[in-house]
Amino acid sequence: MKATVVEGLEVGTELPSLTVRFTRERLVRYAGASTDFNPIHYSEHFATRVGLPGVIAHGMLTMGTALRVVTNWVGDPSRVISYAVRFTRPVVVPDNADGVEVEFGGSVSAIDGSLVTVGIEAISEGQRVLGAARAEVDLGVRVPHLDHGTSYAP
Amino acid sequence: MAITEAHAGRRYPPCDPYQVSAAKIAEFATALGDDNPRYRGESPIAPPTFAAVISAPAWDALFNDPELELSVARIVHGDQRFTFIRPLHAGDVVIATATIDKVRMRAGSELVSATVDITALDGEPICRAQATFAHARETAA
Repeated sequence: MKATVVEGLEVGTELPSLTVRFTRERLVRYAGASTDFNPIHYSEHFATRVGLPGVIAHGMLTMGTALRVVTNWVGDPSRVISYAVRFTRPVVVPDNADGVEVEFGGSVSAIDGSLVTVGIEAISEGQRVLGAARAEVDLGVRVPHLDHGTSYAP
Repeated sequence: MAITEAHAGRRYPPCDPYQVSAAKIAEFATALGDDNPRYRGESPIAPPTFAAVISAPAWDALFNDPELELSVARIVHGDQRFTFIRPLHAGDVVIATATIDKVRMRAGSELVSATVDITALDGEPICRAQATFAHARETAA
């Protein structure tokens, strides 16, 4: 774990954000790596035939990429003990060199001893593409309670 | 007969054992654009969502169950949750098993909640993947 993670950590602490471009090349790579060869992730013809606005990214590609916000921050991915998302909106990936940009962010929503919950945001074209996304991380050490001067002296 | 609430609790036979390899971990991490050093080198661990790769044949067992009469083309992934007991390591040999937790009938569709348990060959639990899928019912012609 990175030594800087625990220091000053409190509910509301923002994690470094991440901006990623999803291109058709990325979708093909993810299809092969994940073995999800559903043609809606590479064929315009097929995607539009089933009523989609175009080729869309794998939900699991968005979910997996979003977790990088947490694993980049904590350093050791084995600290992640749970991760959940709702797929609220498909990410349409145009067939050009730029693809589509997805912005990922995270902030601490709860701290319980060494357990830290991070709420994750994923935004593409101004719209949230994941809902209720959160990961629980066990930092292995208790997060010290920050005193903001609101507590009274004993 | 098609899928109904009564299919809750149905457990599928375990999938064939899957051997996690360093090469597949690196390929998956590259596809995520993730250069975390823990995913590379001689004894890498897998990115947490690699569990989806192992779960895939277990979901297929459910989706292709002839009794449920599901059409994969009409299935939409609604939500996904992973609970990790320990990370997957290169060299692990694991087994995925799917269970239907709940079926909710909606106007025009079914919501299927199911769990895939990923265990080692000796039964050691490694990861649990839970998902909800919406299946759009075929409209009567």
